[in-house]
Amino acid sequence: MNDLFANRTMTRDGQLLLEKAQRDRIETVWDRFENQLPQCGYCEMGLSCRICVMGPCRIDPFGEGPQKGVCGADADIIVARNLGRMIAAGAASHSDHGRDLVDVLQEVAEGKATGYQIRDVEKLKRVAAEYGIVADGKDPAEIAGELAYAMQEDYGTRRKSLTLLQRAPAKRRAIWDKLNITPRGIDRETSEMMHRTHMGVDNNWQTLLLHGLRNALSDGWGGSMIATEVSDILFGTPQPAATMVNVGVLKADHVNIIVHGHNPVVSEMVLHACQSEDLLQLARENGAAGINLAGVCCTGNELLMRNGIPMAGNHLTTELVLTTGAVDMMIVDYQCIMPSLGSVAACYHTKMISTSDKARFPGMQHREFHPENAAEKAREVVKEAIENFADRGEVYIPVEPVKAIGGFSVETIVDALGGTPQPLIDALKAGTIRGAVGIVGCNNPRIRQDFGHVTLTQKLIENDILVVDTGCAAVATSKAGLKLAEAAQMAGPGLREICGALGIPPVLHMGSCVDNVRILVLASALANALGTDICDLPIAGAAPEWYSEKAVAIGAYFVASGVYTVLGPMPPITGSMNVVKLLTEGLKDEVGATFHVEPDPEKAALAMRRHIEGKRAKLGLPSLKV
Amino acid sequence: MRKVIVHPQRCVGCMQCMHACATAHSKSKELFAAALESPLPKARIHVGVGLFNEGFPNRCRHCEPAPCQLACLPGAISRDVETDTVLIDPDLCINCASCAMACPFGVIRYHQHCYAPPGKVVAVKCDNCFERQMQGLIPACVEVCKAHALTFEDPSRALKRRTDEVARSVSPGVLQTDLAAGFSVLNAHKRQQIEIALRRSQS
Repeated sequence: MNDLFANRTMTRDGQLLLEKAQRDRIETVWDRFENQLPQCGYCEMGLSCRICVMGPCRIDPFGEGPQKGVCGADADIIVARNLGRMIAAGAASHSDHGRDLVDVLQEVAEGKATGYQIRDVEKLKRVAAEYGIVADGKDPAEIAGELAYAMQEDYGTRRKSLTLLQRAPAKRRAIWDKLNITPRGIDRETSEMMHRTHMGVDNNWQTLLLHGLRNALSDGWGGSMIATEVSDILFGTPQPAATMVNVGVLKADHVNIIVHGHNPVVSEMVLHACQSEDLLQLARENGAAGINLAGVCCTGNELLMRNGIPMAGNHLTTELVLTTGAVDMMIVDYQCIMPSLGSVAACYHTKMISTSDKARFPGMQHREFHPENAAEKAREVVKEAIENFADRGEVYIPVEPVKAIGGFSVETIVDALGGTPQPLIDALKAGTIRGAVGIVGCNNPRIRQDFGHVTLTQKLIENDILVVDTGCAAVATSKAGLKLAEAAQMAGPGLREICGALGIPPVLHMGSCVDNVRILVLASALANALGTDICDLPIAGAAPEWYSEKAVAIGAYFVASGVYTVLGPMPPITGSMNVVKLLTEGLKDEVGATFHVEPDPEKAALAMRRHIEGKRAKLGLPSLKV
Repeated sequence: MRKVIVHPQRCVGCMQCMHACATAHSKSKELFAAALESPLPKARIHVGVGLFNEGFPNRCRHCEPAPCQLACLPGAISRDVETDTVLIDPDLCINCASCAMACPFGVIRYHQHCYAPPGKVVAVKCDNCFERQMQGLIPACVEVCKAHALTFEDPSRALKRRTDEVARSVSPGVLQTDLAAGFSVLNAHKRQQIEIALRRSQS
C-alpha cells in the first residue's frame, strides 16, 4: 500500500478508496489540508482577533511586536474571547439540534407532524415527571405538548436554572452555584457569551473562561440532553442490536442511500420510506435487489443505535464513500457536512440532497423537510434514488463489512446489569474493572484517521478499563472490530470476565455526538449511587481526534461536570500560557477536573490510567502504580 | 547598510509577508484593488513548509557573486550597488529559466507582472522593495511581519543580538528561557504528531 495513503488513514477501506480517489482525480480533505500548510501560527495560538473593525489584530508571541490589539486587549483576553466564541458556537449547534426535536415533539402533540409518533411513552412520562408534569389521566400527546412547552422554557430566560441539572449529584450542583456557573437558559448563555466577547464587555480572562464553562453546561445539561431525551421519546430508546460497519456495507445490487449529518428528524423518515413495500417493489422493477440504507457520521449513529442500520464510515470517510460509485443518493441534514461533497459526487452518478432550511451546500439539490411534510418528502427523494440506480457507472466496493454491536443507552446498560448500576460499582470497587473512559469526537486530517481512537481504546481495555464511546470515535472502534463480544479477548482479564458474564463488548457504543450526555447521565448515576461527586469517580474522557467547535463545548461540559478530559489536537490557546495553565491545572481547584493535551494516544492512555488509579486510591479502593 | 534578515525560529507561518509582497508589487499598492488587477500581482517571498509543518519565509538572498547573474545569457540580471540588490530587467529577460536552474534557493518564478512589457512572461524575484526604499519605506514583507521573523537592519546589529542571546543562554546558573513558551508548546505538539506518523512509516 502506498505509504502516503497508509499515513492518512489506518482503515483498509479508506486506503483503497484514497487510491481510487487519486485515480479518479478527486480532491480530498487531506489534499486540502496539505494545501493549507503551514497554517497560521497566530490563529493556531488563538492570538488573532477578528471581533471588531478597529482590527483585525494579532499579538506577537515573541514579545517584540504588538502586545495588545487596537482596543487594548492583551494575549490573555484575546485567547479567552476566541475560546469563548468557539464554545458558544459548539453549544449553539447541539442545542439548536435539540430545539428542532422539541419542535417536532410539539407538532406531534398538535397532531401536525404526520409520520412521527411517540415511540417510547414510558420515557416520555419519566422525563415529563422530571419537569414536574403530572401524567395521570393524560394521553401521550397531551403530555408531549406540555413537555415540549416546558423544554422550550429551558431555552429561554424564564428559569433560574435548567431543569435537567437536577440529574447531577448534589455536590456538583453546589460547585456550580458557588462558582456562579449554573446555567440559567440554553440560549441565554450562548447569547451572553457573544455579548461578553463583544469589544469592551468582559475583559477578565478568568471570568470569560468561567462563563465558557457555564455556556458549555447549558449545552451538556440542556440543549444536548434535551436532544437525546426527545430523540428517544420520538424514535425509541436504543437497545443493543447487531449491525455492520465500513464502506463494505454498500451493496452492488441494491439501491444505496446514505444519510449524513446529525438530526434523526430527517433520517428516521428516510428509513421509513426505504422500508415501505411499494418503494421496495419500485426498486425491484428498476433492477435492484432492494434498498440499502446506510449512514455516515452521527445521523448514521442515530439510526444505528435505534434500528441497527449499517454505518459506512465516520467524518473522513464522507468523501471517500462517494468514490465507490455505488451511492445512488446521499441525503444530508446539518453539521460536519463538508461543502466539498457536491463536487465529489459530480464525478459519479450520485444525487446529493440537502434537507434543512438552515443548511445548504454547493452541488446539492435542496428538498426542504419540515415535520409536517417529512414523511412525504422522504418518499419523494427515495423514489428519485431508486430511479438513479439505472444511471450507475462502474462500482468499486473494496472491502467486506465488519460486524459490530450498537445501541447502549443508559437504560439498556442498567438493564444489562440487572436493573441497577450496582454490579458495575461492585466490579469497580473490587478492581475487576479499574475504571471507565468515555472516548468521543471526530476525525481530523492532522491525525491518521482512527489511529487515535483505536490505539487509545486498545490500551485502555487491555488494562481493564471499560470504554464507552460516541460519534466518530464510536464508528472508528466499530470498524476496528472492537465492538463485538469476541473483542473481550483483547481486554484485560477483569474486563474480559465481566464482558463474558454480561455478553457485552468491552467498548460500548452510546450513540451520536449529541448523545455524549448519556455518559454524563451514567456518570451521575454512579456518583449518586456512591453518594459522591463525578470528579471523585475513577473515570475520564478523551477526544483523541477532535476538530469541531461542538467538541470544544463537549470537552468544556465534561470538565465542568468533573471529568478529567484528554484532548489529542491542541486547541488554539497556547498564545496565553495563563489560559493554558488555568485549563490544565487551575480548574482542578475550581471544578475538580482539568483538560490535558496529549497527541500520542499511548501516552494519553498512560495519563488516563494514572488519573484513574489516583482516584481509586482516594476512594480507598485497591489501586495500582502506573 | 540595512538588509532584510530572516529569523526562521520566529516564523509563525501566517503568510502575511506573501500578501504584503504581492501588494507592494502591484499597480495600485492596495490589497483589495491589487486582487482585481490583471495580471494578478504575485508574491516574491514564499513561505515553505518544514518537516514539522512549521513555516519558513524563503526569499532571494541577493548572493554575491549571484549564480543567477552568472547564468543569465542576455545580461538581464544586474546588481544595484547602493541597495546591494540583485535585479532582473524584464525588457532584457528571455524567459530561458537558466537563472532558476542556477539559483540554489528556488526563489525565481516566471509570470507576467505590471512592470514588465504587457503579455511578456519574465523571470521574477525579490527586488528588496527597491521602489519602496527609494520612497524611504522599508521592504513590505518586513513591515508586515509582527513576529519579527523578518527584520530590516544592519546585519552586524542582528548578529550582535544573536551573539548576546547565545552568550546569555550559557551564562552560569541561568536556565535556558524560551523565546515564547506557548509557541514552543504548540511546536512540540505538532512535532510529536508528525513523529508518530514517521515512527509508523519506519516500523
